[in-house]
Amino acid sequence: MTFTLSDPTWYPIASSEDLPFRHVYQGQLLGRELAVWRADDGNVNVWENRCLHRGVRLSIGINEGAELKCQYHGWRYANRSAGCTYIPAHPADAPARRIQNRTYPVREAYGLIWSAANDEQPFRPFPGAEDKDWLPLRPMPVNAEPEDVLAALARLDQYADILPGLSIRSGNVIWFVQPVDAGRAVIRGLLADQPAEPLAELRRYNELLTGLRDRLERAATRKPAPAPLQPIFEKVSADLATMPEIAIPRGNTMTVVVKRKWQSADGVIGFELAARQGHLPTFQPGAHIDVHLPNGMTRQYSITNGPGDLMSYVIGVKAESAGKGGSKVLVETVREGDLLAISEPRNNFPLRRDATRTVLIAGGIGITPLLSMARFLDKSSLPYELHYFVRSGEQAAFRDQLEALHGKVIIHQGLPRDEIAATIATSLGEWSMAQHVYVCGPSAMLESVRATAAAQGWPDEAIHFEYFKNDKVIDNSSSFEIELARSAMTLHVPAGKTILEIMREAGLTVPSSCEQGACGTCLTTVIEGEIDHQDVYLNNSEKASNACMMTCVSRAKSARLVLDI
Amino acid sequence: MTITLYDFELSGNCYKLRLLMSILKLRYDIVPVDFFPGRQHKADWFLKLNPFGQLPVLRDGDLTLSDSGAILAYLAKQYDETGLWFPDDPAITAQVLRWHAVGDDITSTASAARLALGFDYDFNIEKAQKSAHRIFRIMDEHLWFGEREGRDWLCSPAHPTTADIACFPYVMLSEEGGISRQDYPALRRWTDRVRRIPGFVVMSGIFPAGRALEQA
Repeated sequence: MTFTLSDPTWYPIASSEDLPFRHVYQGQLLGRELAVWRADDGNVNVWENRCLHRGVRLSIGINEGAELKCQYHGWRYANRSAGCTYIPAHPADAPARRIQNRTYPVREAYGLIWSAANDEQPFRPFPGAEDKDWLPLRPMPVNAEPEDVLAALARLDQYADILPGLSIRSGNVIWFVQPVDAGRAVIRGLLADQPAEPLAELRRYNELLTGLRDRLERAATRKPAPAPLQPIFEKVSADLATMPEIAIPRGNTMTVVVKRKWQSADGVIGFELAARQGHLPTFQPGAHIDVHLPNGMTRQYSITNGPGDLMSYVIGVKAESAGKGGSKVLVETVREGDLLAISEPRNNFPLRRDATRTVLIAGGIGITPLLSMARFLDKSSLPYELHYFVRSGEQAAFRDQLEALHGKVIIHQGLPRDEIAATIATSLGEWSMAQHVYVCGPSAMLESVRATAAAQGWPDEAIHFEYFKNDKVIDNSSSFEIELARSAMTLHVPAGKTILEIMREAGLTVPSSCEQGACGTCLTTVIEGEIDHQDVYLNNSEKASNACMMTCVSRAKSARLVLDI
Repeated sequence: MTITLYDFELSGNCYKLRLLMSILKLRYDIVPVDFFPGRQHKADWFLKLNPFGQLPVLRDGDLTLSDSGAILAYLAKQYDETGLWFPDDPAITAQVLRWHAVGDDITSTASAARLALGFDYDFNIEKAQKSAHRIFRIMDEHLWFGEREGRDWLCSPAHPTTADIACFPYVMLSEEGGISRQDYPALRRWTDRVRRIPGFVVMSGIFPAGRALEQA
């Protein structure tokens, strides 16, 4: 038998005891090096032991409980998905979130961690596995060919049964040979039922295996060493490794199950959206998903989850009884067990993790992206302060999650407007190098924070904000002409299509992000015509000036608009 | 009294002293010695401090000391009021000294391979690597059974001693000598524990471990 890289057999690759919390185990199977680690939620990850960005071993990384951080470069790979969530050089919406390390199938059973080179075969227990309380023996690495190791184990007991998958049953012990490489193996033994004196038994078997190893290694030096297996490392595709030009929403949706719906606070409904199978894609703190609603609308909601927490996304929805928009449908008609289509996570509100001080300011439902940011900073032991402004204590959503944080979290209740401003001013303090503030809340609060911060010396690039989602129902029933002054084009915008869509269809590259009139990316100068503003980005005086518009949602009241494009 | 360490940043033996002095919160001055490529440890002025021509050298007032293991013992006995780092119990003293000797063995094997590969020293690399693997096998077995017996460190007290510091650096730097620690999972877990000792400091090639999981 020669070993191949494509051998689909499940082999034990570690003992459960080799994976204490916050440790990264270095293993190998069939020539491929593995980084094996247990996350704080108990999940065991078996990954190719190589950082996709720099090629260094991930087994030198720091296990932070939900992410593995490269000690040299700061890359972070998330539990379960192995998706990279952070590149220090690109704090913005970098493609890192799309890069995923290679993962291998994993099963923890009988005190051992099992894996295979691929998932062609399902994991099957070895014969007689189920009805015993197995004690794993001390593993014994041997520099000899796996078949020779198996043969030597077989010679220990003439009544031994050879089982499939390089294993042998000998009395009350089952031996497994882990093929590390063509010329290396690890002997892993399982003892059926706990002996009266486990330590003495463990020492006895360890002595037996040490003798066996020494004999095998002496014999191995007398024959030519086999060539090591040569794993092929797949390159990251250019599509994944390069920066996307603009964050055009991709059409891909996935189906999630509403696992839980609950009242998180007065006026805030929590939704837990779980994957139907496995985990959801990696996301960055501050990221949101587009939720496709039963009434055909699409709405954006921030993910509140902490790092590496990918079994479900938790979002918070404001239950405005008077609201006519998408949130009303979610709150009133979507039930637990329902299926929803959501987009992949996108991030227009990226968090910098190189700040010496981070101030997070939330108002009302604006807590959702900031909760996710606080959880990331918390896990990374980075200093931060979270100020959460609510009208009353009952309106503070996700209270349990906030209380579990270690940073400075203050819930400000029922402050009058001027006191809010004063509190914001005190919380921000004077700006100094490498301080950043993140704000999400009602527009009045955003304006207040921007003005206060600017007055206290905070430069624009240190103030990060995300407007509330545009909850207005967009009236797209009008039809009109647009003249693109610089491109010398006249285009017709019919009812049901946006200016942005029409320009893209005509072959123009125009930047956009949220596509709901909230983020300001598609801000365009208007030369002529009357604008039908439907965004929440522009303030009233900007709207009244009739000189600029958001092409993703706004339209024309006049028959013609001349745009400076 | 001022403590002065004659130090080479990339020397694991010098790092042992920086590590213990950091743990014990001692203040000290550093005199850099250009071990490589300057070979200042063979210069006349240095040989007057230490005729053996080896780093590190530590001066504490009028006292001049050499040999990292000996200095570790001196610092612990002189400055560690808890008595934990070099315990007085005769049997434990013997254990600690045993592992100080292992620390020297690791220096003459794993560190020699590192010097040959990274510092152009003319040593038999293969022999050094093979001998290092022999020591690591013994350590891994000792530490694996230690974990089953409730012992996290090289010696029997329930806390680290200078023995752990004496053996730690060149285990951590072994990859620089082409010596993989893949076959020694218990040894790797022990290095995590050492890197979590309060007061731990880094050196090039030796990074901190992640925070231990805080038990609720």
